[in-house]
Parts: sequence; structure tokens; C-alpha cells
Amino acid sequence: MLYDLRRIDARVRWLVTLLLCTLGVSYAFGAWMVGLYAGFTPRSVAATYAEPVMTMRMPPETTVVVEHELAPSDMGIEEHRVDRALLVQDTHVHVPMYGVIATLLSVVALGLAIPRWAGFGLVTVLFAAPWLDFIGMWLTKLASPRFAVLTLAGGWAMGLGYMIVAVLAFWQMWRPEKGVRV
Amino acid sequence: MKTLMLGAAAAAMLHITPTVVLVKRSEVVSRLLTGAERFTAREVHLSGADDRRLRDAAGWTPPDGLLTFYVRRHQSRVTGVLLFVRVDSPHGPMEVAVGFDGAGAIQGVEVTKATVETKPWVVEALRAGLTGSYRGLAVDAAPGGAATVKGRVGSMAVYMAELADKGVAHAGAAYRLFYRP
Repeated sequence: MLYDLRRIDARVRWLVTLLLCTLGVSYAFGAWMVGLYAGFTPRSVAATYAEPVMTMRMPPETTVVVEHELAPSDMGIEEHRVDRALLVQDTHVHVPMYGVIATLLSVVALGLAIPRWAGFGLVTVLFAAPWLDFIGMWLTKLASPRFAVLTLAGGWAMGLGYMIVAVLAFWQMWRPEKGVRV
Repeated sequence: MKTLMLGAAAAAMLHITPTVVLVKRSEVVSRLLTGAERFTAREVHLSGADDRRLRDAAGWTPPDGLLTFYVRRHQSRVTGVLLFVRVDSPHGPMEVAVGFDGAGAIQGVEVTKATVETKPWVVEALRAGLTGSYRGLAVDAAPGGAATVKGRVGSMAVYMAELADKGVAHAGAAYRLFYRP
């Protein structure tokens, strides 16, 4: 343990508390946004990131035209699709932020009173989760819609990693100790 | 720690804000394909050669090489064609809907999507008459929306107008090269 959250200055514990609360709010709204735009099932995630069914992976030799009839009400159902260009942009802007968040949570994790192997595991989960998330998105787009499960696993792993750090940190920082007046 | 803080600040500044729908597609259809009870979605999957042709003409190709024209017919005569075009920027994507009349002139333009960050700038440009400047424009004419609003709005609203110009020009090139009645 590089430092001990249980015994560290109260101002640092307060900082960590506010940081975890802020990240918690951002994660909750992140989950809400995922629900709005991509969903929580492999099928909905695949529909968001996979190449459209009609799109050929290689451009056709000659331009192909396909027509189908629509009613205005059909336009009301707008599917959120992330094409390759948007995924490049998303990866570029999200991965650095995910790295910063994983680092902050890892710094908190280093102050937790947990076994050394658990510390290694927790830090690994915190960094592996966003990697899984984006690897899943790219494989869903480039290889097969089946890889959408990786994105879902990454998302849940992010939530799980945060929950473990937050619960342990809150408990270890603010648990009333016997005989000690807080 | 200083590096960490700077990194966090940079990442926060780079973060693109979520998309905001300014006008629903169903509303756009009712405005730009007036009276359409049924219409046709014509999906044009561009070949490699046609993709290059569009890139040479407009400096742009659609995502996944797919152009979708929404075509309204009245008594087998085409009365309107609608196209949605996305324009990417460092501040996030913007989507414009460009409607053409049966003769191929621009009937109307709507900015349908922006982002939380860009919406105020887009709204400012729209209030200054951005989309009105496109009405009646020939399909191969250069759009002048930014020139119309310049001097009456802030610099970011002018920038949004330039993006809208780009979207209209892309739609015009797609229509000119690949729309066949």
C-alpha cells in the first residue's frame, strides 16, 4: 500500500469522496446515455456499431441502387448508428478521458487496505474495461456483430471497477472506529 | 500531478458533447417533401470509381459509401427529393437536410442535428437567416449561407454557417452526380 486512505489527512479523504461522487454521477448519466443511444443488449449494440446490412464491405464494382417505399411515420424511428468516421472520432476523444479516469480510480485503489494481488487485479480491471469497450466496438464494426458482447462486458466492467473502488474507499475512509470520536 | 491535471483538462476540452436533434426527420419530410403520404428511399451504394468521382467533385464521400435520396412523386412525376448530409467538425457532427424541387433547385434546407456545444451557435445562425439564403439555389451553385450571416452573428455562428454551406454543397454534388429521376 503506497498510502493509507484510512489514516490520511481528512482533507484528502474529502477530496477522494467528492471525486468518487462526481465520477459516480458521470457514470450514472453515461449509463443513461448508453441506454438512449446504444442499449444494453448485444443486438442493440451490434445495430449501433456494425456496418449496415446493405453496405458492402468492399465498394461494389458498379454503383448499386436499391429502392423501398416509406411513409413519413417510418422516419420517426431514428436509429443511432456510429459509422467508421464517427467511431474514429469517438475513440480519439474518449480513450484519453477513460485513461485519466482509470488513473484517478487506480490512485484511489492504491490507498485501499487490500491484498497486493487484489490491487493488481483492480488496477487491471480499471484499465481493461475501456479497452474491452472500444475493442468490442471496433471488432463489431470490422469483424462480426457478435463482438458486441465485448463492448457490453467492457461497460459492465467499468461500472464494476468503479463500484468496488467506491464502496471500499467510502467504507475504509469513513467507517466509525470503536472508541474513536469522529 | 501537474501533468495529470493538464491531461485531464485537455481530455475534457477535447470531449465532444452529445448530439441534439433540432428538427425530427419526420418533421423535415413534412416540410421539404410537402404532402408526401408515401415516398421512396433510394439507396445508392457507390462503386469505388463513383466514390472517387464524388470525392474529386466535392472533397467528400458519404459514410460507408451510401447515399440515400428520399423521393416524392405525384402522379409518377418527381416533385421533391430530400437528402440528409452529416458534416463533421472538431466540435462534433452537424446534420443538414437539403430538399430539391422537381427541377433540381434547392427548395429548402434544415439543420437537423447539432451538439450540446454547437446548438447555440447554430440557432444564432438560423435566426440570422442562414437557411433562407439557400432557397432557389441551383444545384451547382456555391452556397453562401456564411456570407449571408457574416457581420450579424458571432464568429462561431459564422463557422456553423460554413459547415452548413459545406453540407449543402455536398448534397448538391451528390444530387448532380448520382440522382436520376
